[in-house]
Amino acid sequence: MKRSDRRNAVTSRREVLRDLGIGSLATLPFLGGLNSLAADADSVASRKRLIIMFSPNGTLPGEFWPDAFENQLAGKESVQSGLQLKSMLAALEPYREQTLMLKGVDNKIGGDGDRHMRGMSCVLTARELNPGNIQGGSDNPAGWASGISIDQEVRNFFQSRETSRTRFGSLEFGVAVPNRADPWTRMCYAGDNQPLAPIDDPAQMFRKLYGGAKDRKSVASVLDHVRDDLRHVSGRLSAEDRAMLEQHIEHVHQLEKDIAAAEQQSELVHPQPDIDPEIELVNDNTPEIARMQIDLLVNAMANDMCRVATLQFMRSVGQARMRWLDIEEGHHSLSHEPDKNKVAQAKLKRINDWFASQLALLAGKLAETPEPGGDGCMLDHTQIVWVNELGKGNSHTLSDIPFLLIGGGAGFRTNRALDLKDASHNRLWLTIAQGLGHHELTTFGSERLCAGGPLDLA
Amino acid sequence: MTWHLLNADGLDNARFETGAEIYRQQCADCHGGDGQGNETGYNDPLFGDGKIPEISRVIDQTMPEGEPELCSGDQAEAVAYYIYHEFYSLAARREKGFAPKPRVELSRLTVDQHRHSIADLIAAFTPEPRYESKGLSDYRSRRGNASTQDAPLAEQAGLRGTYFDSRGMNKADSLKVDRVDRRIDFDFGAGSPTADMKPDQFAIIWDGSLFATETGDHDFRIRTENGARLYVNHDAVESRGRLRDDSSVAGSVALIDAWVSSGQRREESARTFLVAGRSYPLRLEFFKYLDDSASITLEWKTPGGVWQVMDHNVLSTAPAKRSFVVDIPFPADDRSLGYERGRSVSNQWHQATNEFAVAAAREVVARLPILAGIESDTPDRFDRMEEFAKQFARRAFRRPVSELEAERIAQTLADNADNLDGGLLCVMLMILKSPSFLYTNLPMDPSSRGYEQASTLAMVMWDSIPDDALLQSAAEDDLKTDQKIRDQANRMLTHSQARSKLTGFFHQWLEIEERDLVKDRDLFPDFDTAMVADLRSSLLRFVDRVVWSKRSDYRELLQSDYLLLNDRLRTLYDPSFDPTLERSPLSDQFRQFKFAKQRRAGVLTHPYLLSAFSYHNSTSPVHRGVFLTRNVVGRALKPPTEAVTFQDDQFDQGLTMREKVTQLTRDSSCMACHSVINPLGFALEGYDAIGRFRTKEGDSPVDTKTQYVTADGDSIAFQNAADIAKFAVDSEDAHRAFVKAVFHHLVKQDPDAYGPDTLDVLTGKFRDNEFNIQKLVVEIAVVAARKT
Repeated sequence: MKRSDRRNAVTSRREVLRDLGIGSLATLPFLGGLNSLAADADSVASRKRLIIMFSPNGTLPGEFWPDAFENQLAGKESVQSGLQLKSMLAALEPYREQTLMLKGVDNKIGGDGDRHMRGMSCVLTARELNPGNIQGGSDNPAGWASGISIDQEVRNFFQSRETSRTRFGSLEFGVAVPNRADPWTRMCYAGDNQPLAPIDDPAQMFRKLYGGAKDRKSVASVLDHVRDDLRHVSGRLSAEDRAMLEQHIEHVHQLEKDIAAAEQQSELVHPQPDIDPEIELVNDNTPEIARMQIDLLVNAMANDMCRVATLQFMRSVGQARMRWLDIEEGHHSLSHEPDKNKVAQAKLKRINDWFASQLALLAGKLAETPEPGGDGCMLDHTQIVWVNELGKGNSHTLSDIPFLLIGGGAGFRTNRALDLKDASHNRLWLTIAQGLGHHELTTFGSERLCAGGPLDLA
Repeated sequence: MTWHLLNADGLDNARFETGAEIYRQQCADCHGGDGQGNETGYNDPLFGDGKIPEISRVIDQTMPEGEPELCSGDQAEAVAYYIYHEFYSLAARREKGFAPKPRVELSRLTVDQHRHSIADLIAAFTPEPRYESKGLSDYRSRRGNASTQDAPLAEQAGLRGTYFDSRGMNKADSLKVDRVDRRIDFDFGAGSPTADMKPDQFAIIWDGSLFATETGDHDFRIRTENGARLYVNHDAVESRGRLRDDSSVAGSVALIDAWVSSGQRREESARTFLVAGRSYPLRLEFFKYLDDSASITLEWKTPGGVWQVMDHNVLSTAPAKRSFVVDIPFPADDRSLGYERGRSVSNQWHQATNEFAVAAAREVVARLPILAGIESDTPDRFDRMEEFAKQFARRAFRRPVSELEAERIAQTLADNADNLDGGLLCVMLMILKSPSFLYTNLPMDPSSRGYEQASTLAMVMWDSIPDDALLQSAAEDDLKTDQKIRDQANRMLTHSQARSKLTGFFHQWLEIEERDLVKDRDLFPDFDTAMVADLRSSLLRFVDRVVWSKRSDYRELLQSDYLLLNDRLRTLYDPSFDPTLERSPLSDQFRQFKFAKQRRAGVLTHPYLLSAFSYHNSTSPVHRGVFLTRNVVGRALKPPTEAVTFQDDQFDQGLTMREKVTQLTRDSSCMACHSVINPLGFALEGYDAIGRFRTKEGDSPVDTKTQYVTADGDSIAFQNAADIAKFAVDSEDAHRAFVKAVFHHLVKQDPDAYGPDTLDVLTGKFRDNEFNIQKLVVEIAVVAARKT
């Protein structure tokens, strides 16, 4: 069994065990990171986070990339003008000054698997797929990625240190990811052959994060009835049997006290978000699901439950039908249409505009939340990276992957676009990891693609 | 109690008086006036299950301490007579108020009852799984190239395998074979499963169910170099014929997902918790795509067992419902009386019931569309939920829902009108935390007596809640006569859960649980964990075969002269077996092997038990003797007065085990019990520490001749286990002890609470029914569920 599946399979049970062990386990602090927060002011000041957001099927390069790149212009000109966002990315305007766009970053991973597979399963791992039995639209069949993904690499680094360790380390969010495990649906890997499944059900994620408190409340709500019933029936019993029920009543009383105590202990810095547990995981609810997942993600980070998160929209070759954008066709089919199909282009623009708006929602929530115990807002301490498995849908190119970075986590100079001219994406991940403090990492993914070392983005 | 009353019962006054006088003079100083003991003398109160001749013998031989000659013969007999009637026997103690009067005690659900009740509660709302024949026949008619019969297959042992040629990776394309595979252990090499299939790409789906005979963590393992997914206890939904890369069982999470492969043979395993006595849906999907070779093996490991290929003994082509089972750790039930019963409500138990209730409530809410047909957009959602919750409560409470309860359900849902799922969750918790669910025998309204009876029957026969037929007869108050109850009990006996519950009894009676059978590697090199697992299997199969045969004869359990052995066991236990000459085609299949006359005697000489009641390097006549004393001939033993450890190196190594034990226990205080234990143990010295027949122990011949003194004071010669078995099947004490043990296991109450002669009557019926165990179960159920 793959590690990811095992993790999922035991989650629900473990949640229940942890969260409902009312007298014992639930008294553990809910906020793993709060201790270090109080203990070590330095670590707060240097707290860094990484969020990787994925959307599938390539972008529209003409609508995505700005007309000018800083490293192609004379220095002064660029500094004055800053980054110019095209209309498809208008939603990101409020965060333009914290945005860095990187053209010319290529996924140069070859080998087995079609480009969607390599695009998806190599985008964060940056090394070749294992040989395998999964056949794509072209090329040889392939298996899982052969190494750890960058988010997990950074997570392991954070978890290895007392000052940056958190309860979960990382959280893998999904939005409308189909229930199947293959190289098109997994981008996060704990290691060779160890894909991690994103959780795409907000209710499930909510339970993972806050389940205990909710269950305690539910149990507490029925205890009055239990007590009434016990009193009612005990009247009909012999003295010996009544003693057993009285003991039962005593335990119910104790339970109530424990629940009250657990409630007090689990008060959060940021109250848990409002999640509709009845939301159905159907295509048409995607915008609402996305909003919830973003709420949960930011909330988990505000409560320092994790410092690394991924947010995966659909999957590579995803056929989401975005009826909320008045688009009936599947996304992947649209992305195959030639450039001259203006109708398709317009729809793809709407789709990518929508993804940009989701990114804006995420950045916005981080921007409006003051950094807990630190300076500025959370966005100042968070590196968001928006990625795609392809550069362009109808060409299936793995070059010029639309990398768009927002936030101050890795300490890059922002409000600009750079054309890095065929840099391997291995080097970008290396740069980001080092920017987040992981200086010991000198190569990432395929070693031969790390030649030249980190990029200069500061 | 006054002796005048006893007199009316036929008490021998003179004897009683004589005994009383001697007791006052010679015994009371140490044992206290009422045998309660005292601090300076003997602490433990004098009471027990012994009979007068037995007590008399002990007094004669050992009392007064140090001077046994002071009280012997008739005097010892008179004292025994006096104390037996005055305070030693249970009846006397009850009269004196030393022991509580027998009564049916209020009981909560035991752990097993809890698990089964919740599983059956949810299962009652789960639609019957449908065979996928429809999908397949559609498939056939569309493709028109199936190679086998068109009729759906009847239920068979094994899994139904449908074999497809594929096209474009794992897309099941044309059905080639539809058959039953008794085990999934195939190596297709570079070829194809059958001649008319293409070797480069094909797909196979195996479908059916799995029957668990143990409760606990079960490990599953797939070995393959290709792609495979295993589903266990998934929601049975009609799956599409195609496999492709979609997970084909919509909405279910695979227990093992090994779909993506790099062509190397690998093992993927996963663990899941299963409860005994239930069938679970099982599905294995497999595909080969351009890999060099293909193979697939499906193995499992039951709790305490070893890895083995799952086979036809546990697999069936019959579909099964998903069962709600979850591994919530419960504190162990009280077993202080020798059987599990629900008499204590600890804090841990409360926590476990909370966790269980929350998990079950979530399961219900999440699966509401399946369980109640209520979707998120069902228009009359509130009303449908309310109705569902009331039905759920009725089953959980095992009686009609009161007005107050119905009102609470409606109110709780109304309070959560903006979040009905959350409201239903609270209602489920309310039901599952209610004393009406958690206690098995709370008094119900007089009008609901039929339900009380139905509830008792379900607990006795199944450790669970009543099914539809029982609820129906309860509603019609149709359990008025013994015969009506008997009819129901007979019906219920055919249910797999009844079987499982009775199997549980034999686990307990034969003390099968948690046995360490590890032996000295040098002495017994072949006795490894696989051998132990086989032996356990052999014993359980034997019990199963006897109990579920038509005669269901208790005597056969003790006296049969055969063992069920596979080839591996035969190499150890069948001296006539030469594995080089004789190899059965299915070497792991168990077959019946008869032994020479008097060589084997049912469970008494089953190698599993003989090994279990042995040391790692030698036999243990004491352990064997204690087991036979308590469980087979049915005599009570008190714990030893002092704990003595058998240390082999303290003895002259020239001595036989029998001689060593005789030496160790020769002290008179030991012999009070060991005079019973040792002869029984010595008679089994003809079997070594792993239960092989022997005539020599080292160089010394084995001596199995013993004299056994019965509870009534008779002396009987035993030469071997068969003699003991013969004695037990003729002994009323043994019958009564067996009946009592079965009663305890089934009813979890004291049989005397159902009338002072309950055991006598049941034991008499047992004898009249030719010691038929199944009929005994039914008669016990009648006693427990009879209208009082």
